[in-house]
Amino acid sequence: MDHILSVLIFLPAVAGILGFLVDKNSAKTYAITVAAIEFVISLWLWMSFDGTNSGLQFVEMFPIVSSFGINYYVGVDGISLFLIVLTTFMTMISLMSLTITDNVKNLVLSVLFLEMTMVGVFVALDAILFYVFWELSLVPMLYIIGAWGGPRRVYAAIKFFLYTFAGSLIMLVGMLVMAYLYYEATGVWSFEITEWHKFVLPFEYQLWLFAAFFIGFAIKVPMFPFHTWLPYAHGQAPTIGSVILAAVLLKMGTYGFVRFSLPMFPVASVYFIMPIAILSLIMIVYTAMVAYAQKDIKQVIAYSSVSHMGVIMLGLFAMNAEGLGGSIFLMISHGIVSGALFMLVGVIYDRKHTKLMSEFGGLASVMPKYATIFGIMLMASVGLPLTIGFVGEFLSLLGFYNVSHTITLIAGLTIILGAVYMLTLYKKTFFGPVEHEENRKLLDLNKVEMASLAPLVAVVIWLGVYPKPVLEPIDNSVKSLLSFMEEKTEALETRYDNSDEALEAIEEAKNIIVVSQNREAE
Amino acid sequence: MESLVYIALFAPLLGSLIAAAFGTTPKTLFTGIVTSSLLAVSMFASMILLAMAVSGAYIHVELMEWIGAGDLYIPFGFVVDEVSATMMVVVTIVSTMVHIYSIGYMEHDIGFNRFFSYLSAFVFSMLVLVMSDNFAGLFIGWEGVGLCSWLLVGFWYHKKDVTRDVNPSISPSWAANEAFIMNRIADLGMLIGLFLIYWFTGSLQYSEVFAAIGDVDMTIVYWIGIFLFIGAMGKSAQFPLHTWLADAMEGPTPVSALIHAATMVTAGVYLVIRANPIYDVVPDVGYFIACLGAFVAMFAATMALVNRDMKRIIAYSTLSQLGYMFVAAGLGAYWIALFHLATHAFFKALLFLGAGNVMHAMDDELDIKKMGALYRVMKPTAIFMILASVALAGIYPFAGFFSKDKILEVAFNEQTYILWFVLWVTAGLTAFYSFRLIMYVFFGKDRHTEWGAHPHEMPNFVLWAMSPLALLAVIAGWFEGWFHGYATNLLPDYAFSDATHHMVAMLIAVTTAVALGGIIYAIVRYRGNGPKKPTNVNSPVYKLLINQYYIPVIYENVVTKPYAKLSSMAWSIDMKVVDATVDFIANSIYGAGSTARGLQTGNLSKMLRLMAAGVAALLVAAVVYGTLR
Repeated sequence: MDHILSVLIFLPAVAGILGFLVDKNSAKTYAITVAAIEFVISLWLWMSFDGTNSGLQFVEMFPIVSSFGINYYVGVDGISLFLIVLTTFMTMISLMSLTITDNVKNLVLSVLFLEMTMVGVFVALDAILFYVFWELSLVPMLYIIGAWGGPRRVYAAIKFFLYTFAGSLIMLVGMLVMAYLYYEATGVWSFEITEWHKFVLPFEYQLWLFAAFFIGFAIKVPMFPFHTWLPYAHGQAPTIGSVILAAVLLKMGTYGFVRFSLPMFPVASVYFIMPIAILSLIMIVYTAMVAYAQKDIKQVIAYSSVSHMGVIMLGLFAMNAEGLGGSIFLMISHGIVSGALFMLVGVIYDRKHTKLMSEFGGLASVMPKYATIFGIMLMASVGLPLTIGFVGEFLSLLGFYNVSHTITLIAGLTIILGAVYMLTLYKKTFFGPVEHEENRKLLDLNKVEMASLAPLVAVVIWLGVYPKPVLEPIDNSVKSLLSFMEEKTEALETRYDNSDEALEAIEEAKNIIVVSQNREAE
Repeated sequence: MESLVYIALFAPLLGSLIAAAFGTTPKTLFTGIVTSSLLAVSMFASMILLAMAVSGAYIHVELMEWIGAGDLYIPFGFVVDEVSATMMVVVTIVSTMVHIYSIGYMEHDIGFNRFFSYLSAFVFSMLVLVMSDNFAGLFIGWEGVGLCSWLLVGFWYHKKDVTRDVNPSISPSWAANEAFIMNRIADLGMLIGLFLIYWFTGSLQYSEVFAAIGDVDMTIVYWIGIFLFIGAMGKSAQFPLHTWLADAMEGPTPVSALIHAATMVTAGVYLVIRANPIYDVVPDVGYFIACLGAFVAMFAATMALVNRDMKRIIAYSTLSQLGYMFVAAGLGAYWIALFHLATHAFFKALLFLGAGNVMHAMDDELDIKKMGALYRVMKPTAIFMILASVALAGIYPFAGFFSKDKILEVAFNEQTYILWFVLWVTAGLTAFYSFRLIMYVFFGKDRHTEWGAHPHEMPNFVLWAMSPLALLAVIAGWFEGWFHGYATNLLPDYAFSDATHHMVAMLIAVTTAVALGGIIYAIVRYRGNGPKKPTNVNSPVYKLLINQYYIPVIYENVVTKPYAKLSSMAWSIDMKVVDATVDFIANSIYGAGSTARGLQTGNLSKMLRLMAAGVAALLVAAVVYGTLR
């Protein structure tokens, strides 16, 4: 299987094009089948992936515009592998749980195209290729929100599109500058990310380029104060749109930091730790409070996503294997849990066409299975040990503790505030007497819903009890990433002899980047 | 040996899963029987392990790796040593009895199967908590018992929220959330403690941490001690995180007996005992723990004096006794803290189960002033509760006497006479309020026939389930000497000075006197038709106590409501400032575009004029720029 990654990228796209020929009544079945095959292939990728090898695997390359060094260049390492599996898994599950019947053929084909772009983003090792997939992913999502969304769908869809698009344009400029600097230094054009990684960039350029990439990624994450597109997008998107948006699309932003910012600009990454940490703290605390104030269940989950993404950002900038590895694990777990929560909201929305908490109450007696699964996801969301949510959150915070005690203490409020808004939501929706008589007739989960939620529950518990299969490959890749950052920082040091600011920043970076305590003790 | 450890640990989990499989179906008696039998299995395995620990065995097993990242390695490792074996036996004995008891108590509840599933899951979590060989494993159990407590306090989730005047706990679901969130506040402290431990010792394994703690900077050890204790304050409901415990009485009574009296709430004490090498380094933190413990002991006892709610009275007494344990642990007498933990578990569980019998007889009425003269119809329950109360009051030769008296001796020995005095007064209060409850419930005038109660005794097997606890409430104290020798194989011994030795008889006499005084005063005051001079319910002291020092109200007005307001404000800011700015920028660009559209008329002469103006402007700019240079 030399071309497994290309198959993964293009299978959904080709199937999507062929899908136009499929009868509209069987379109959903067709899409589920394609997504299931895609998922199986990604599992195969995982099985054949060598977890002990921290480098890139299944690499494919052929030139597209060779005079400018633009190639079709793809590969996976322990960091991207699980994001790919997450993508194919959540796409399959969300298609399975799809209840929309109106114009469903176009919807499922959009989802298949979206899957191509998402997988493409995670496997691309060429900046231009990455950028193409990154931008293409906006189009199906724009269509999904704009065509199948709620009453303000057009506003929400355009806001989502323009906001993220504006950010990524700045990122594109950053990429072009980076390529030019590379050309100036080496005399050849290259957009290969691996080449850029090796390229030691002067400190001043690192700062500027970090900022350019930061805007692109931060809007996607979304980091405060660039997050306001998210509540609109979630509020208006159909369930399947929200699931994919929360589970996968947001992770593209944090993945960007790991793939570009950290290895390319290690000194700048350390230099900007504090501002980023403060933004993350605002995300964690402030959006948790906003979540508490919401009246709409879906909005609570939407804001809680922002809050959790704050923890992921902190972990990313912990500059040690515990924090960075934990943060990548948290991307996976947040993908599963927030996706599941959005699906759960979809379940009652399908039944009552409202998502307001005040319309419910006492559902635990009416829909016990639903209440149980919601309860499990709630506990995963607040990070209870032995659920998937704990591992990443614990490691991210543990890692950042080595950078700053105070910030971690404040960030730790997430475990309290998360419990506050989630338990309040649960109490208002599920506990108490059944206030609205018509709610007594609500049906519990049906077979299709059970079939799509049960695998998520299984994963939540399995990876909570035994995270090793995922954590170990991540850990290996993260360690090599960190030692790489360390080497680059040291390499940069030799080039400076008089710039105090730069030397100070480099010194700081050398102190903070920890590959292994033990190794340094030796 | 290894398999015994796993049997003890996983039997309750198996029971829980079996019961959970029938969780949504109507009552099936066998779930109760299966879970109880599996717990009995766990209990016998624990007893055998205790016997092994007594003969000096130290069993350490590692099931598998849990989390490995960077240098961090956390296994599912379990250890059976003197401390954990004791905890295991206490937990499984009480749990088994409570399970059997619950088959009778929950007989008519539609959530029968669900109840047993939660209850066994709790026992499993508690065993993980006490058996883990590392701090992270302890944290698993720590959060697990919190989850089960949430599920069980909120067991009757269908009840509606009411105001504080009607029910101080508002509703089961409210109390459940309060308990979970309060515990989470403390858990943050605990997590920070874990982070500190990891970054300064490089491990979370007890053995490695305790070996390395001597080399860690003192300031850091202080902080570790403080943060771990913050965690302990949540689970063991120490002031100011205590309000959840009394509200948690909304759960079914067997739950109160098991979780909120005998086991879970003692987890904080267990943590301090387990982390004794850390607290030994920083005695100042220990002293603070002792002071807070003494304060809570008295603070809780005062609230119990006036309360009319049977379960709340017992809950406050639990709180008060936890204070005693913290005094012992804080002052370095770890084995005495553990000993009191064990004896307290037996007699307090017995007391609660007795209260459950009374509730059953009284149609779930909790107001002790609506009861009376129940001794005639419920002799065995009355005897059990009197036994437990005597043990709680610390009268010779019952269990409480041995353990509680030792704590007073420790306080005296440390020359912390104020602590001793506080505990001494509290001993009197404890005796008084315990017998106030006994008198109101079992003796005096019959006040229940008038509102139509039909009291009856519980079925025999329920009473049999209580009898081992009754036996232990009587005899557990007799093992003091043996337990001392056994526990101090692992825990540091506590040495009494000679001066204290000479005073022991005196101390015992004084303490017994105050306890007897409390009992006799309660009997005299509440016999027959009740107090001749009733308590003035309008006095400020009474109001203060009955309203729990107004602390729940203060929390509501100072924390809960402002937080809700602040959250709404944050939401407005998000919409009206952050998002409005984004829209403003977008609109400005759009507006600029619309305005500029007017220029693009396509009129040739207008275009030429604009071009000329542009060229002129550029020339001027060039000239100005040139001269400036």
